[in-house]
Amino acid sequence: MSNVKNLRTFPGNRLVWHAVIVGIVWLLLLLLNNNIDPLYSSYLALIAMYATAMFGMTILVGLSGQVSLGNGALMAVGGYVFALTSMNWQTVPVFGWQWNAVWSMVFAGLGGILIGGVVGGLAARLKGPYLAGLTLGLAVGVPAIANRFPELLGGENGLMLTVPYPNGGYAAAAVVSPDPAGDLATGAATDPGLDPNAVAGDDQYAELDLSGFDQGDGAGTEIAPGDLISEGDLLTQDDLLTEEDLLGAGDLGTDGADPGVDVGTDLGTDLGADPTTGVDSGLIDGFDSGFIIERWQASMAIAVACLVAFAALNLIRGRQGRVWKAVRDDPIAAAVVGISPSGSKVSAFVISSLFAALAGAVFAQILSFIGPGAFGLGLSLSLLVGIVLGGRASLLGAILGALIIVWLPELVNGLSGGRGWPDQITNNAPNLLYGLLVVAVVLAAPGGITGTIRSWIDKARGKTRSPLS
Amino acid sequence: MTNFLDYLLGGFSNGAVIALMALALVLVWRSTRMINFAQVGQAMFTTYIALTVQQSTGNWLLALVVAMGAGLILGTIVFFLVIRPVKNSDTTGAIIATFGVLIALQAAAGMIWGGDPEGFIPPVSNAGLEFAGRVWPISLYDILVWTVTAALVVGLTLLFTKTSLGLSMRASAFNPEVARLSGVRVNRMLITGWALAGATGAIGGVLIAPVASISPNSFDILLVFAFTAAVIGGLDSLIGAVTFGIGTGLVISLVSGYTDASNAPVVALVLLTVNLLLKPDGVFGHHGARSV
Repeated sequence: MSNVKNLRTFPGNRLVWHAVIVGIVWLLLLLLNNNIDPLYSSYLALIAMYATAMFGMTILVGLSGQVSLGNGALMAVGGYVFALTSMNWQTVPVFGWQWNAVWSMVFAGLGGILIGGVVGGLAARLKGPYLAGLTLGLAVGVPAIANRFPELLGGENGLMLTVPYPNGGYAAAAVVSPDPAGDLATGAATDPGLDPNAVAGDDQYAELDLSGFDQGDGAGTEIAPGDLISEGDLLTQDDLLTEEDLLGAGDLGTDGADPGVDVGTDLGTDLGADPTTGVDSGLIDGFDSGFIIERWQASMAIAVACLVAFAALNLIRGRQGRVWKAVRDDPIAAAVVGISPSGSKVSAFVISSLFAALAGAVFAQILSFIGPGAFGLGLSLSLLVGIVLGGRASLLGAILGALIIVWLPELVNGLSGGRGWPDQITNNAPNLLYGLLVVAVVLAAPGGITGTIRSWIDKARGKTRSPLS
Repeated sequence: MTNFLDYLLGGFSNGAVIALMALALVLVWRSTRMINFAQVGQAMFTTYIALTVQQSTGNWLLALVVAMGAGLILGTIVFFLVIRPVKNSDTTGAIIATFGVLIALQAAAGMIWGGDPEGFIPPVSNAGLEFAGRVWPISLYDILVWTVTAALVVGLTLLFTKTSLGLSMRASAFNPEVARLSGVRVNRMLITGWALAGATGAIGGVLIAPVASISPNSFDILLVFAFTAAVIGGLDSLIGAVTFGIGTGLVISLVSGYTDASNAPVVALVLLTVNLLLKPDGVFGHHGARSV
């Protein structure tokens, strides 16, 4: 019945309203991005990336009621498609447009739709636990595929991206100097995480070790024409973000596999008219007008997240959202009124797969790297944890979930910092918290944060409805 | 041909352990009609306990018994704290809750025992036996694994077919309402199911630990294999879980032998997909009635 009210409160063109809402949020986020320390911009980028993937989870798990652990694997699909297209077709103009990030993103999205259609077709035949098990197999199996094709997909070491930047500029792959003795190695030793690649169920499943890619300075990069900054300017950005800062941000226990985001690699770009975000560096006054990679990554991630949010908002609040809920709540009754339950399930899967693939493409750009370790079961589980804690059936819940996933490990590190707690305690504390919180939320507040707050508001107004509606 | 035989024989031990984990999943399914995705997490935790016992006493049998006991208790605790309070209507919530338990158990194990993989010393030699002029991919330890697995399967079968407890458990799994009306304490049967599953999984964990090594997430892949076996077997059927558990172990061993071990998860995925497409209720399962 609440839907009827929704229609009334949003008279006329709902699309316009949603565009206005998303546009305002987008603008605010860009302002935020341009006025915070670049370190926080990199967190912002991660949050936006997780939110993008979690919007898909909101639709799939929250609205359509299908528990999927495969969205991390679907992100891997998007990431690899992005990596391969951007690396191999750098100079191919398509419809007069250079083969740039936008085109690679389009292809990543198409890849997501394709795979989502296949998996969704299978999934529509399956009920709850079967689906969860099948997608669990997907989460474990898909990253393993990368190991099967080391020439094409880079095997366990993954691929270093040559990230295409705006205005047709490309940052060529920096000289990679593996740094096994670096801080990453110690992180891997203490954190069991949830990385399925670190499985020792058979001696063949050797622990994954990405041996900490560290590109150090930006040597070997190209400077795009029209670049305003000298290398010297950019190298100072190195101090702003250490690898440790990004390690453990988000993703349940990827320490063993975190490729270690490094700022220094990415030179030679121009913030000039950014086709992805429309940000004009000339407008950002009072701030270093130089190109700051974290800012660019964050604005790109925010752009994708906002576009996806706009699409999701329209789907959820429109007819399709009601169709998904109807099938989730009672498939047979839905079929009686002319809705195809399997069609609805497949469409939810395809949409969430599209979002996941786009998020994966963003993730690949943030990391400047792609490898099976970054897309393991831990990533899929963190997506699930995020939306359950934030609120299973609301987009706001997905955003809160993304915040929790990125900030909680930092919070725990902050709390435990300098108290001399052993690493194995502090490294596992976030995951223990996630696990316990998930159980507690499922038992006590199935609606998550947003669902619970809304039920309080409803209570105050004297209304009742399901926390998952 | 020699290769084929070697790979096949080498797969039996893994298959036996997959069968035990699949059995645990089936026991839970029979009692509460849900998949316990935390099952291997529980097994991992109890295996760590067994490891501690073995390291301090050097007694493998004691470690096994302690792990079984811990598995019983852990299964009961998870049932009482997590499964029973989840509302029956919220199947999505129940699945998510078991993943929450899995995440928490893995983190807790990492906190207590650290994340480094640890070896588990087998009670008998794990080296291939020499027989008829060549070394076979079978060790004394493999024979021990088969014996324990066979004993457990026979024991569970006898429990379900020959005892009144087994009859009550089957009755409450088949139709809880009618069972309750006939005087079966259904709730107790559910607890028994979860506790038995916990103990079965614990035995599987202790048995696989010397072959592989143990770390907080070293059993994740086992969950995929066990789930595959249990689903192909029909989720309801003990004999199905055992048959296809061993079958999965053999297939994985053959694929790993002839191609590459990294193919194993993909093979499990393919097996699962094909099965779910052709025979979603499993080979030994029976079709459930659809209700409105």
